[in-house]
Amino acid sequence: MERIVIIGGGGAGAALAHDLVMRGFSVTLIEKGNLFSGTTGRHHGLLHSGARYAVNDPSAARECIEENRILRKIVPGALEQNGGLFVAVDDKDMAYAPLFAEGCAACGIPIRKISPGDALSCEVNLVKSLRFAYIVPDAVMDAWRLPLHFAATARLNGAVISEFTETVGIDVHAGSVNGVRLFDRFRHKEYVLPGDIVVNAAGAWAGRVASLAGLVVPLRPAPGVMVSINARLTNMVINRLHGASEGDIVVPQRRLSILGTTLRLADDPDDTEVRAEDVKKIVEQCAEMIPAIKTQSVHAAWSAARPLIDDPKASNAQAISRTFDCFDHEGDGVNGLITLIGGKATTLRAMAEKTADLICRKTGRDVHCTTREIVLSDYRNTFRREAP
Amino acid sequence: MPERAIIVRVMRYKPGIIDPPRFENHEIVIDEERTVLDCLETIRTNLDTSILFRHSCHHASCGTCAMIINGVERLACITKIGYIEGNVIALEPLRGFPPAGDLVRNMNGFFNYYPEPYNYIRHSEMLPPAAPLLEIKEFLRFENCIECGACVSACPVTDKKGDFMGPASLAAIGRELEKSPERSDELIALAGGERGERLCERALRCSKVCPMGVYPAMHIENLRKKRINA
Repeated sequence: MERIVIIGGGGAGAALAHDLVMRGFSVTLIEKGNLFSGTTGRHHGLLHSGARYAVNDPSAARECIEENRILRKIVPGALEQNGGLFVAVDDKDMAYAPLFAEGCAACGIPIRKISPGDALSCEVNLVKSLRFAYIVPDAVMDAWRLPLHFAATARLNGAVISEFTETVGIDVHAGSVNGVRLFDRFRHKEYVLPGDIVVNAAGAWAGRVASLAGLVVPLRPAPGVMVSINARLTNMVINRLHGASEGDIVVPQRRLSILGTTLRLADDPDDTEVRAEDVKKIVEQCAEMIPAIKTQSVHAAWSAARPLIDDPKASNAQAISRTFDCFDHEGDGVNGLITLIGGKATTLRAMAEKTADLICRKTGRDVHCTTREIVLSDYRNTFRREAP
Repeated sequence: MPERAIIVRVMRYKPGIIDPPRFENHEIVIDEERTVLDCLETIRTNLDTSILFRHSCHHASCGTCAMIINGVERLACITKIGYIEGNVIALEPLRGFPPAGDLVRNMNGFFNYYPEPYNYIRHSEMLPPAAPLLEIKEFLRFENCIECGACVSACPVTDKKGDFMGPASLAAIGRELEKSPERSDELIALAGGERGERLCERALRCSKVCPMGVYPAMHIENLRKKRINA
C-alpha cells in the first residue's frame, strides 16, 4: 500500500494516522515539537454540541453534533459528559432565543428549555437574575488525552510517530511529491523520508508547510485567549445565549474553570500574545453568567491560534466559518500533496475521514472508513513500551 | 504587571552534540504575570529555535511541562515569574526517566505498572448535589492526576533504584482501588509486589511536589496498611 506522510501532530494529524492505518496504508506522522503542542492541546476542552454555531454557521453545527455523538462512543474515557447550558441573562439574550431554538432544530441538535429555578438548583453559582436556560449536549474533553487516544490506537496498528522532527523540505519530482526532508531535532540530523502522498495537517502552521512546495493556502491564523481560574464553579459547560462573540463560555474541568475566549486575526501562527486587557475582558464577561468568577484569582492565561479557512467575503472574524476542507494540490502542479485546514477539536475525526477518502480516490483504493465505530485504545498506549 | 529582566539557565543536552549536558544562559525581559513556559516559548521563538521542551495545554491539565525549576519539580505552565525569587531561573529535566534531549525526557516507561484497566473518570464531588436533570444522571469528572512525572522525579528511591514502580503508579492503583473495591485482591497484590510500596522510604517528597494535590504518599501508606492487614 502507499506510503503516507502526515505533517503535523495535532488532533487532525493523529486522527488521520488512525484512519489511514485502519484502511491499510503505511503511515508516518511527523511533528516538530511534542504531540498536540500547537493549537490542539491548548483549546478550552469543549466538545461542541454544535449549538454555538446553529444560527450563523449551520454546516459547522451539523459537523459538531454528528462528531459529538461519535466521540462519546469511541473515546468516553477522555470526556466529562455533564452536558451544557445556554443561559439567557438579559433582554438581548431573550430576543436571541427563538433564533437559537430554530437553528438548533434545523441542525438536529436536541435542546430543552429549563426554568431559572431548575437551572439554579442544578448550577448554584449561576447569576440569580438568570431568565432561563437551554440544556444542550455539550461535554468537556481532556484536550491532551482525547487526541492522544487516536495516536495510541494508530501506533498500536502500525503508524510511526516521530516527535521533535521538523519538516524542512517537500521533494517534488516531475510534478509529483516523492517524499519529505526531515530534521531530527534530537540528533541534529537531516534525512529523507520517501512518501507517495504527503498531507499538510500543520493547522495554523499549514501556510509554512505549503510554502515548502511553493504553494499558498487560504489559511488565516486566528488566536484566541483563554483564562483558567482555580475553582470549579459548575458541573456543566455554561454558554451565553447570544450570537458568536467573545467571553461567553465557561468550561469546567477537574477542579478548574476555563473561560473563553477572544478572537483576532493574525499573520503569524506563533503570535500568541496574551494581553492583560483580554484577560480582564474575558473575566468580566464570563462573570455576567457566574458572578463568583470575579472572586477567584487567575490561575493561567494563554493563547492558541485557530487555523481558519480564510474568507475574503466575511465581514468580520466571527463571520468566518469553523468548517474544514482539504485541498488537493494536483491542480497546483504538485500531485500527491494535500492540505487540510479549518475545523475544530470536536471535528478531528471527520477531518481525517474526509482527507482519507480523498487519498483513497487519488490512489484508486476502495476502502471504507471504519473510525465511526472503532472504540479507541487507551491513550497511555502512546507511551507504553510493551503492549499490555 | 511590571516586567522583569531574568536569566534563564536551560540544561541543554543533545546526544553526541551537546554531551555531556550543560547549562546555557539566555537573558530575557518578561512580564511578571507570564510563566516559565512563556519564557521557554519566547526563547524558542526569538533566540534559539533548537531548544526542546514538552508542552501542550498551558493550564495544568495535560502534565507535559513538568520540569525542575530552581531545584524543585513544578509545572512550567503555572509557575509565574512573579513568584520566582531573584532573577535567575534554572531549568532541568525531570529525574528518573531516560534523557531524550534538553528538557525532554523519554516517558515511555511511565505507565508500565499502572493497573489495567485504569478508569480516568470519577464521580464529581465538587459541588453540592444538584437537582436531577432529565439528561444527566450523575456528574462526572477526570481524575486529579495529570501524569506529569513530578512525583517520580522527586522520589529518592526512584532516583537510586530503577526497580521501584514509583509514586504515580501507586497513586493510580490507590485511586482505582477506591473506585473499584471489587478488584481489591488484584490491586493490593500489584501494589505489594517486589517493585511496589515496600520500596517506599517515606520521604514524602512525592506529595510535596505534586501540583495537583494527589498525595501519592497517602495512597502508598493506605496500600501498605491494606497489604499488612490482608
